[in-house]
Amino acid sequence: MATNNTFLTTQVGSWPRSKTMLKALRGYQKGTVSRNEFNNVANDEIRRTVELQEKAGLDILVDGEHRRESFYAFITDKVAGTALMSLADMLDYVEDKAAFEEMLRTMDMPASAVKNPTCVGKLSRKESLALGDLRFMRNLTSKPVKITLPGPYLLTRSMWVTALTRKVYRNHKKMADDVVKILREELIDLRDAGCEFVQFDEPVLTEVVMSEECERRTFM
Amino acid sequence: MRIGLHICRGNWSKQEEVLLKGDYARLLPALQPMQIDQFVLEYATPRAGDIDVVGKHLADRELGLGVVNPRTDEVEPVEYIVAKAEKALEYYRPDQLFLNTDCGFGCFASRSVNVEEVAFQKLCAIVEAAKILRSRFG
Repeated sequence: MATNNTFLTTQVGSWPRSKTMLKALRGYQKGTVSRNEFNNVANDEIRRTVELQEKAGLDILVDGEHRRESFYAFITDKVAGTALMSLADMLDYVEDKAAFEEMLRTMDMPASAVKNPTCVGKLSRKESLALGDLRFMRNLTSKPVKITLPGPYLLTRSMWVTALTRKVYRNHKKMADDVVKILREELIDLRDAGCEFVQFDEPVLTEVVMSEECERRTFM
Repeated sequence: MRIGLHICRGNWSKQEEVLLKGDYARLLPALQPMQIDQFVLEYATPRAGDIDVVGKHLADRELGLGVVNPRTDEVEPVEYIVAKAEKALEYYRPDQLFLNTDCGFGCFASRSVNVEEVAFQKLCAIVEAAKILRSRFG
C-alpha cells in the first residue's frame, strides 16, 4: 500500500499509566526500585502502547510518556541543577501558601499529583532528555516517531521558584537562556538521530492569556 | 524533521468547567512569527473556539487538528471527526491537515484522564475518519 501523506493520524503524547507503571515510578523515585528495574517495567508498557497504536492504524507513533512523572517534571532526571519537588516541598517556598492551596482546590488538582521541576542550580544536560526514548521506539516500530518535549516558556515558568532559584540566576531571563540552550541541544540531537517529529508542549501560553490571574503560580 | 508546537487549555481534570476557555486569537501575534512547521491544537472542545481563527492566520503551516477529547468516556462518532476535518479543509490542504487527540491521555502520571480501552477506541475512530477523508479528498 502506498504511503499516505494526507490526513496523517497521531496523538499528542501521553498514555494512561497502569498501576504497575505507577508503582515502579514511585519506587524508582524513592530509591527502592533500581533504574534498570524501572526501565524494564516502562519498556513493557511502551511496547503495549506501540502495539495498540499499530493495531488502531495510526501513522505517527508516540511512546506514551510512561517514563515521565509528567510531561515537564521528568526533566529532573536528565538536567543538572533541578530538584523534583512535591507540593509539600513547594509550600515552604511559594509566596502565598493559602492562595496556592485554594488554586489547586478550585482547579480540581489534587496535591498528590503535583510535582515541580524546580531550578536549584546551574542548568545543564546530564543526559539527553529523549534520545533514549527515540532509540527504544526504533526497536519497536518502523513507523515515524513523534517525540514530545516541554516548551521553553512552560519550563521557565514552572522551574523558577524565587527563594531557591535566585541564588543561582539573577532573573527569569537568565535562567531561560540556559533552558533554551538545553532544548536546542536536544532538538539537534534528535534531528541528527533521524527523529521525524518533535513536538514542544506549551499549555502555559493559554494560561497567560485566558486565565484571569496570569501572575499567579499554578502547577505548570 | 518536523517541529510542532502543542497548545491546550489544561488536561488535569475531567471537570471541563475548571479548565481554561478561549479561542486562539490573542495568541496569534506570538504564534505567527514562530519557526514552527505545525501547530497541534485542541479543537474537540468548544472551549477552543472556532477553526476560522487559526485558519485565517496560520494556514501557511500544518495543523494538527484535535478531533477527540481525551477526558471523556464516550468515543466521538467517526462522522463528527470527518465533519471537523471538512470544516478545516476550508483553510488547509489535505496534506497540511493532521488528525490527533486534543491532548495526551495522562500528562501527569498519577492523574490519567482516561483508561486504555477508551483511549484505544478514540484512536480507532481517528483512523476510520482519516480513511473516509482520504477516499473523499485524498
